[in-house]
Amino acid sequence: MTTRALSAAQAGLVACETCKLLLRPVHPDHLGHCPRCGAELEVRRAHSIQYTWALIVAAAICYIPANMLPVMITNTFASSEADTIIGGVVFLFTSGSWPLALIVLVASVMVPLGKLLALGYLLISVQRGMPGGCRERTRLYRMVEFIGRWSMLDVFVDTFTVALVQLQPLMSVVPGPGVLFFAAVVVLTMLAAEAFDPRLIWDSATNLESQNA
Amino acid sequence: MPDGSDHSDLPQATAVAKKRTRISIVWIIPLLAAVVAVGIAVQRLLSEGPTISIVFKNAQGIEAGKTFVKYKDVNIGQVTSVQLAEEYTKVTVTAKIAKSAAGLMVEDAAFWVVEPRVTLSGVSGLGTLLSGNYIGFEAGKSDSKQSSFTGQDVPPIITGDQPGRQFVLKADNLGSLGIGSPVSYRRLPVGQVVAYQLASDGQTVDIKVFVNAPYDQYVNPGTRFWNASGIDVSVGAEGVNLRTQSMIALIAGGLAFETPPFAPQAEPAAANAVFPVYGDRVAAMKQPDVLAKRYVLYFGESLRGLSVGAPVTLLGLPGGEVTHIGLEIDPATKRLRGRVELVAFPERLVQQLSAGQTALGEAVARNTGRRQAFFEQMVEEQGMRAQMQSGNLLTGQRYVAFDYHPGAPKARIDWRQDKPVLPTVPSTLPDFESKIGSILAKLDKLPYEAIGTDTRKALVTLNQTLKDADKAVQRFDADVTPELKKALDEFRRATVSADKMIKSTDATLLGPDAPGQQGLRDAMREVARAARSLRVLTDYLDRHPEALLRGRN
Repeated sequence: MTTRALSAAQAGLVACETCKLLLRPVHPDHLGHCPRCGAELEVRRAHSIQYTWALIVAAAICYIPANMLPVMITNTFASSEADTIIGGVVFLFTSGSWPLALIVLVASVMVPLGKLLALGYLLISVQRGMPGGCRERTRLYRMVEFIGRWSMLDVFVDTFTVALVQLQPLMSVVPGPGVLFFAAVVVLTMLAAEAFDPRLIWDSATNLESQNA
Repeated sequence: MPDGSDHSDLPQATAVAKKRTRISIVWIIPLLAAVVAVGIAVQRLLSEGPTISIVFKNAQGIEAGKTFVKYKDVNIGQVTSVQLAEEYTKVTVTAKIAKSAAGLMVEDAAFWVVEPRVTLSGVSGLGTLLSGNYIGFEAGKSDSKQSSFTGQDVPPIITGDQPGRQFVLKADNLGSLGIGSPVSYRRLPVGQVVAYQLASDGQTVDIKVFVNAPYDQYVNPGTRFWNASGIDVSVGAEGVNLRTQSMIALIAGGLAFETPPFAPQAEPAAANAVFPVYGDRVAAMKQPDVLAKRYVLYFGESLRGLSVGAPVTLLGLPGGEVTHIGLEIDPATKRLRGRVELVAFPERLVQQLSAGQTALGEAVARNTGRRQAFFEQMVEEQGMRAQMQSGNLLTGQRYVAFDYHPGAPKARIDWRQDKPVLPTVPSTLPDFESKIGSILAKLDKLPYEAIGTDTRKALVTLNQTLKDADKAVQRFDADVTPELKKALDEFRRATVSADKMIKSTDATLLGPDAPGQQGLRDAMREVARAARSLRVLTDYLDRHPEALLRGRN
């Protein structure tokens, strides 16, 4: 045994969440505050798993109307057309601009869904105390955290178009109810990623290691 | 410790942090999301209207997801799919109807494709040039719901809530009528032809017309409809008759109605009442002749120019018409003679009586015995005879005239016959013809050769005479000429001034460059140009209806 992963918690220490200063807690139950930055100390983020689950479930619920309801309603003086995200993808694909279709498909449909699935997998693996693949799981978590902000692409495009295309009698674009749900999915998944404590992934692994040791 | 013993060798209990299983407040977020999502879903489900299918002949301009169903210009649904129907001869259009309009989807609701239409009676559907075609809808009156419909080819002209009444007209043929042809009352456009179809027996055409309120009250059971299409020119023994309706009727055909004055005052006719269509106004407004008496005439002369329907006059006033023309062999002389049947309407003649005598005339006309006695007296004692007369020398149309011919041979009327024979006298025209004939014959007999030799002799004598005359003239020249010359000069001066006067008249009125003429010609040219450009415009619009909006480029 050359190097053994020892977590701060196992050593009876705690790192400040904000400034990462390694500290000795005041008392195992009342950790106290960081002397450097003043943040309240926590061994692990409080109720991390429960929070993450709640946010993921909320995001999953919002994901359905986000894809079913129109995100954009285009009114010309004679007709009115409501487009859903998938409808937009299909339209872009059939009109020949398949790279754009691919971008929208990936950014607006696959990424939010992928985030939900990834976070769900991480939570389940942590709750079950799965030992292996900690490194991969951590990479997955990082990806989820990184990609989160890019999902707002659709909302961004929507707000832009709505703001720009307001040629009242001729044509106007109105945001549909779907875009609200879509934004909710993105925000909720970002919050969920934030609420998840990646150290939990390693906790199960180190628990196992310490038991083996 | 009371006994002071050391338990340090006892295993140390581990303090395990109590797992908090308390449900966090964060679960409100998914709960809220679920409530909102379910709420929207429920709202959607509740607002879901029926899905209907409409069969059209073709799906011109109809696109799934883009074409709307509109009622009174309000969207009540959207086309969700367009498919070929069974047998590939028609198109089935499926549309989702809003819940609010679900109650309108009844049996007799009408659907049609609204597209730009340019017809003689107007331009419609211009909005669709930009928005694309849409499906028009008209509510029905039925109560039984339906979800599959057959689309109509043309929009219904009359919407269900338009006040007025529909009537059914039975015509021999459609003539130049079409859907939308105007129906006029006293030259006022009051309705339209809304539909037509061949009657099931194939013998007549049923034309449905809609007369708008309040004009529909003028249609009562005694009302006559007639075809007022185009120009009606009739050439008869009465001369040339020309009659037109409005300009639209002239081009597109039309119907007109009026209630003849003799029709009894009646309540307005019920909706869908059936009326016959008369060929023209004269036929329509003709009083139905209750009393119709048939007579036979025999003529020993040519019947050329006499036709069925030719008028029969009494002292020049119309009182009947010819119903049949034919031949018959006289049983007594075995001679072929012309036989003319006619029908007389005593009531028409009674109407021509002066006001004070109408009642008396009516009484005479209605009583068979008195009428016959009166007529008999006219014929047998006063010499009333039938005679063929030329109504129009140009066309050669002839008619039958009853006039007094005091010198005519005595005749009797046999009332026992079904169609009594009335006495005739030969017409005067054949006399005229025969006279011309005899003149020609006499000319033919002239001794032209003898005349020739006589003429030659005469010419020689004439030559001699001329010589003598020449001498006389020479003398005359010397004596009279100076005087005459003076007179001629005077005359010439008068002529010149007259010439001047005429020329000035010419210049103002008649000359080719006269201002009056010039103006007229310019005006005519303008009119011709206007007509030409109008034709160009209609041609262009026909081909490019969108030019109405976009302009011509």
